[in-house]
This record gives sequence, C-alpha cells and structure tokens, in this order.
Amino acid sequence: MIEIGHISKEYDGIKAVDDLSVNIHPGRICGFLGPNGAGKTTAIRMLMNIIHPDSGLIKFDGAVTRPPSNQVGYLPEERGLYQKISVQETLEYFAALRKVKNAQRKIKLNLYRFDLGERSNSKVNELSKGNQQKLQFINTILHDPQYVVLDEPFSGLDPVNQLILKEILEEMKLAGKTIIFSSHQMDQVEKICDDVALINQGKLITSGKLSEILKSQANERLQVTPLDEINLKHTYFDGYQTEVRGSSIFLETGSLSRQKVIAEINALFELKSVRVADPGLEDIFIRLVKGIQA
Amino acid sequence: MSLLQIAWFEYRRRIRSKWFIIGTFGMPILIMGISLVTGFMADASAGLETKQYGLIDETSYFGKKLSQALDLRYADEETPPLDIAVAEGEFSELRNQYDMLVTDNFLDAYFVIPADFRSTAQIRNYSRTSTNIHVYEVLETELKDLLIEDKTQQFQLSPEVIEALFFDIDVTHYDVGATEKREQDELIADYIAPFIFMFLLLIGIFTGGQLLLRAVLEERSSRVIEVLLSTVSYNDLMGGKILGLGLLGLTQSAIYLTLGVVAGHYYDLSLITPIIGLLYFAYFILGYLLYAGIYIGVGALFDSEQEAQQAIQIITFIAIIPALLWTLVIENPNSTLVNVLCYFPPVTPFFMMIKIAVGETTVFQVMSTLIILTISVYGGIRASAKVFRTGILLYGKRVNLTEIMRWIKA
Repeated sequence: MIEIGHISKEYDGIKAVDDLSVNIHPGRICGFLGPNGAGKTTAIRMLMNIIHPDSGLIKFDGAVTRPPSNQVGYLPEERGLYQKISVQETLEYFAALRKVKNAQRKIKLNLYRFDLGERSNSKVNELSKGNQQKLQFINTILHDPQYVVLDEPFSGLDPVNQLILKEILEEMKLAGKTIIFSSHQMDQVEKICDDVALINQGKLITSGKLSEILKSQANERLQVTPLDEINLKHTYFDGYQTEVRGSSIFLETGSLSRQKVIAEINALFELKSVRVADPGLEDIFIRLVKGIQA
Repeated sequence: MSLLQIAWFEYRRRIRSKWFIIGTFGMPILIMGISLVTGFMADASAGLETKQYGLIDETSYFGKKLSQALDLRYADEETPPLDIAVAEGEFSELRNQYDMLVTDNFLDAYFVIPADFRSTAQIRNYSRTSTNIHVYEVLETELKDLLIEDKTQQFQLSPEVIEALFFDIDVTHYDVGATEKREQDELIADYIAPFIFMFLLLIGIFTGGQLLLRAVLEERSSRVIEVLLSTVSYNDLMGGKILGLGLLGLTQSAIYLTLGVVAGHYYDLSLITPIIGLLYFAYFILGYLLYAGIYIGVGALFDSEQEAQQAIQIITFIAIIPALLWTLVIENPNSTLVNVLCYFPPVTPFFMMIKIAVGETTVFQVMSTLIILTISVYGGIRASAKVFRTGILLYGKRVNLTEIMRWIKA
C-alpha cells in the first residue's frame, strides 16, 4: 500500500500541492483526477521521488524509504523517450538501469504483444504517436514493478490498443500491484478505476471507492424532460438549483422527497420522462468543486 | 552501478554516431587537405592573376633595369604576380594619363621613380585601393639591389668587396649539452606542438561540453528526464553523463595523440613524450570536468537549445583567450601575465599545456595548478549539481542569477 500523508509543495509562493492525503491499496487501481494544473503531476513526481515534498510523508508498504527502482514503473504524460535511438536500445537501456533479468526475452514478448515486434530496430522518431505510447507503456511495465504510476496512458492509443492496455492493467491488478492512474478524462477513469482521488488547486476534494462516491452523489438529482420544451422555463423550477441540458432540466432535490417533487411536476405539466439522474464522475467533480468555491 | 550504465550508454550511442566518426577523422583530414591544397595552389600560383602596374621613371635608368630584374625573377612562372609597364618621362606630364588608366581599370596601380631616387631611395605608389603588400616587398628588394649596383659603379667598388659587404647570417641551433645541431623541422615542431596541444584541449573540452548541453536539453525537452529520475538518482544521472561524454573526449584525444606519435616517429620528431602525454590527460580531465559542470548546469535551466547557447556565449569568450594569446605564451612563457593566467582555472589547462610543451614550467607550477584545478572542479561540480537538481524540472520558467545563487547556497 502507498500512504500519502499530508504532503505539500510550494513553488514561488504558490501551493502546487496542499496537504494532500490519499491511501492507495494493492490490487486496486486508483485514479488521480483533476483539471490541468490541479497538482496531479506534482503529486506524482513526489510519489516518484523526483521532487521532495516541503512537508508530509509518503510511505510504501509502511516504509518511508522509496522502493528500489525496479519496483516502480512510471509513465509520464508527455513522450519520455529518446527519439534517435532504436526501440530495442531504448528498452535494453532502461532494463539495464532497472536490473531486469531475462531482459531480452521480456522485451521480445512485450513487443510482440503490442504488435511492435517487427519494429524493434526502428528509431523511436520513426514510430507513430500511438506506437510511441505503446513503447512507453512497455518500458513502464517491462520490469514487472510492484508500484505503477500512469499519467494519461491512453493518450494517442487506438481502441484496439486501449483494450490491450486495459487487459494488462486488469492482469496487474489481479497480481496485487498498486496502480495509480492519473487523468483528466473522467469517462476513462470511471471505466478502469476502483478508487479515485479528486484533486483541484492542489487540494484533495474527495477520495475513496469510486462506486461509493457515485452512489453517494446519485440520488439528489432528477432529470425532467417536459413534453413541451417551453416548460423548461416554468416558474416552478425557480425554487431549485437547476441546469438545462438539451430538452431536459436537471433539478437538485436536496433533502426534499423525490416522490413529492415528481408528483408536483406531474400535476403542473405533461412529461416525456422523469428519472433519477445518474451523475457521471465529471458532474460530481464539478459539483464538488463548485460546492467548495461557494 | 547506474552511473556506469548511464556513462556507457552515453559513450556507446555517440561513439557509433556518424558525426563522431566524421568529426574525429574528418577534422585532421580536412586540415591536412586544406594545407595540401593551399600549398599546391601557392606552388602552382593557381587562382592567381597577373596584376598590371604602370611605372613612370623620371631617372630614365632604374625603370628599364627593374623590368629586366622582374623578368628574371619570374622567368619560371607561368603566371607572374605582377607585370610592370615602364614609361620614361615627367610625372607632372604623365600623371593625368596614368590616373585615367587606373580609373578605367587598365592598370591596378602605378609607381613613380622620382628623379632624385638615387639620393632619397624613395618611390611613390598611386592607386584606388590598397596595393598588395607583397608587391611593395618585391619592388623594395629589387630596387635596393639595383641601387647598390648603381652605387658600386659610382664608387668604383669591386664585386669582391660587394660580396664581402652583403651576406646573410645563419644561426645554427643546438640543445644545451648536445653536439648535434637541430634541424629546421624540429624548430618548427617546437613552435607548432604547443599550439596543437592547446588546440586539442580546446576542441576536446568544448566539444564534450556542447555534447553534455545537448544531452541534457534532449532529455529535458523529451521528458525522458522524468523516467530516468524515477529510476536513478540525480547524482548518478549527472555523473554518468559527465563520465560517458568525458570518455568520448578522451577517446578522441587518444586518437589524435596516437596520430601525433606516429607522425612524429615518421618525421623523426619527438612531439609527445610520456610525461607530456600524461599531463595532457590530467589537464584534459580536470578542464573537462570544470566546464562539464557549467554546461550541465546551463542545460538544466533552459527549454530550448537556442536559449541555452545564448547563455553559454560567455564560456565561448573564455575559450578565445588562449586562442588569442598562445604565441605570447610560446615567446614569453615566464612573463607575469602568462604566470597569472596559468592560475586562473578556466584557462589553466590551455596555458599550462603550452608551457609544458615549450618546456618552460616547474614541478611546483604543475602541481599547484593541478591542485587549484581540482579544488575548482570540486566546487564547480557541487554547485552545478544543485542547479541541475533544482532547475531540471522547472519548465517554462525564466530563472535569474539571484535565484541560481540562492539554489547554490541552499
């Protein structure tokens, strides 16, 4: 398990990460979510020991010392590859740095798994963006690390390779690896992650099991679709916090009885449909951020 | 050891690159090629054209004689450098005509031998642009001989007296305690060898520095640095790079020194002794490490090569100092200026290698400069390690000198 305890990092008086605490459990995938500039990359760099926190501690399985490099796999958001050397040399170099045993066999196996077997002698800059991303991913997992940190791993991948990557992540999860997945694409996170940590302006907004977060936020909203769109502006809605999307209006019911509200609306005008809105992670994130700012 | 693996990676990928092979073997070939071509051109007078000059001879004597002397001088040359058309007469009468000939490009310039030339020994030159200095030298030599000949007749001196009066001095050189005189080739080698050592040091150290700068910028801009730093420590990464590219410079130097030994053996010249070779490597290593710290620190501060190169320009200026002053060191190796510069670490390796090559240094000076350089390298590398550690992940941020100093002091 990785325990991130109250870490902070400041640059020129600006808090990039502010008192962040998250626990990441083995055998689960934890998503670090937040908009650009939220502090995800700074938090990950501290996790990777690339930079040190101004305060706070990071523990790996209870120990403050960082695990050896062959126990950690890191895929940065942007490129992260030498452009003018071959695919094979890239993997050999990092395998040597991480003291990977049977490196040649593992390199060959992974290259074929990702359909790059025929490209082992190609220079990295001759590969497409998607293939470079695949190479970067292979480089991250080649040494079978216990802790895996992936920053936007699906960037540039086609659906087939996204599927292969998901399969591998599932395998790693089953093997008990501790996986951190950072992204600003909430739909990807919803599909992959077991746990999430929502970060904004360096601060943790909420964290925990994804299913519980979705459940806890799900029953407070109604999606109302009137037969006549003119009713979207009905004065009845003035007493609620609302959001109009297309031909529907989303209604925050708060502590009121949903049955009572539905009955009231039904009595006022004809409806196409009314249902309990199932908010996505993005909705929850926006709502939570707005809630904090309010 | 991650440091050694990084060093080997850096060394291997660059020594196999075509640019290293072209640079290492191409440069001496290019220099030799240029020497041979210019030598050939000088011998064959290739690319030269005969300059046309006019001559107004007020003495009605020396002009004709000079023309004959020049014909004799350039008898074997297909394209003599100059041709002089002599006209006897008064300058005041011919001036306008000759000025026009020059203006209309029929003549490159014209000379005047005045009537009082015998007593003044002065001639005049009229031209639109500056006349080739070589032409002056030729005319001065030939007219001096003609004037001497004229005066011998005037004073009725015999040719024996002339021969006894005009002769060249020849200095024969011996090493102290030696009985055999030194050949001219050896004397030239004495002058050229120190320059070559300094030149090799400059090339090796600054090429290594530039490669380091590019290596850091490449890893920074491609974000490989993040993957590396999640795998190895800052010290291993920086140390590995410095070591790998330093070994590359040493390989290059070893190739050049070996070529120097072979060439010296072929021409029977003792260019490189074991002690000079040893000291060359000592100064190379320390000089390289001193500049490596600076280059790697600068590389960690900038996002683009263009910005980094601008910042490093001051270093290039330091490199010019030994390139400008090398003749001073050879001719005055023990002057105060040279001795002071020997203790200024950024130029110590270059000046000391020249002094060592000309044999004008002491064991004390060698030892003390090596110690000072070692201390400077230690301080420089420590400071640059702090800059590297702090600056390498600061993307898109302009860093000022005050900030850098704060990092170093931290």
